Amino acid sequence: MYSIVMADSSSGRGAPHQMDDATTLLARVAQARDRMALAALFGQLGPKVKSMMLKLGANDSLAEDLVQETFLSVWRKAHLYSPERGAVSTWIFTIARNLRIDQVRRQSNRPYEDLETVMLESDVPSGAVVVEQKEVIQRVTAALKSLSPEQQEVVRLNYLHDMPHAEIAETIGIPLGTVKSRLRLAYERLRPMLEDLQ
Amino acid sequence: MTINHHPDISTLMAFTAGTLEEPFATVIATHLAMSEAGRITVRHMETIGGALLEDEPDAAMSAAATDRLLAALDGASEEPALPAMAENADIPTPLRPYLPQGLEGVKWKWNGPGVATADLARGRDGRSRLMLLRVAGGRRVPEHSHGGQELTLILQGAYRDRFGVFARGDIADHDEDVEHQPIAEPGPDCICLVAVDAKLSFRGRLMQALQPLFGI
Repeated sequence: MYSIVMADSSSGRGAPHQMDDATTLLARVAQARDRMALAALFGQLGPKVKSMMLKLGANDSLAEDLVQETFLSVWRKAHLYSPERGAVSTWIFTIARNLRIDQVRRQSNRPYEDLETVMLESDVPSGAVVVEQKEVIQRVTAALKSLSPEQQEVVRLNYLHDMPHAEIAETIGIPLGTVKSRLRLAYERLRPMLEDLQ
Repeated sequence: MTINHHPDISTLMAFTAGTLEEPFATVIATHLAMSEAGRITVRHMETIGGALLEDEPDAAMSAAATDRLLAALDGASEEPALPAMAENADIPTPLRPYLPQGLEGVKWKWNGPGVATADLARGRDGRSRLMLLRVAGGRRVPEHSHGGQELTLILQGAYRDRFGVFARGDIADHDEDVEHQPIAEPGPDCICLVAVDAKLSFRGRLMQALQPLFGI
């Protein structure tokens, strides 16, 4: 029944067998503490989170542990998520990032979590979501693929391979300043899609 | 708060990905606690992370992965929302762990006429450090790193250099080869939160030359 509720009439998607989308599943986790919804979300995004953790340099067993921890956090924090603040995948990306920083780097403080308290309080969305989050993600994904191969490479190394910029420079054999300018140019290309958010 | 000087886009991308060493991440998080525009940019950058995550291939999961997750839920309580902090709090939330007694409790070290510093933390790389820098009004801000990356966030007072006036919430994120000579504006002490990526600070050229020998 959820697939009918969630059917997207504008694009022809939403066939009867389509899985519930992540936003619906997470809402069920938050509101009804629905374990099967969490399991379904885990089925959709868990293997992708694991793929990302493997790229970050974790071995299979650590990657699996980090995925478990990520979705345990999803369970514990589901009530703190609101769709106006970003797509579910974006939120899960930040949870996975914070866990990686906590567990792999073992930093002594938690600047990201501290910052989240500021964001929760002061950046209440206006309520006017211009474009659906799902659509934003699709547009950004398409735009990422339209970047030059050089720009895509630095963006992926930055986001998916846990590489500081100096290490990116060394890995692909370009000056540090070139890494930074490629990232700036990539962001300029993506910015119009991203600014539709608000 | 109106912020006139923002971090470089590439610095915010590294922050978003989680690859900055602790001193740099702390300076950026503290700046973002004071800058709504910065927080919006980081949220946009996190969306890029979400898009990349969705585009990842599916890695093979262990057969028992789902059962393991469901079994772990029994002991997991809902996480309470952390108490929200006011944006303009004197010491922004991300900086509080380093300054439990606020700016009044800082143990300053004299570093020349009108200049004092206080070390707050080091990065795990052993090279980067987080510190406070206090410069009396009208004094020159000493050069505080040599050759490495440097982020300077103004917490109190202001300074001026060829890029303009930097006041509370503003951040200086220059390439390492940029030359500038900031001077604290007349008035109250200028207090900055600084992350530097170098072993040296506030030392003369002789000390710089000797530093590799002695590992100071």
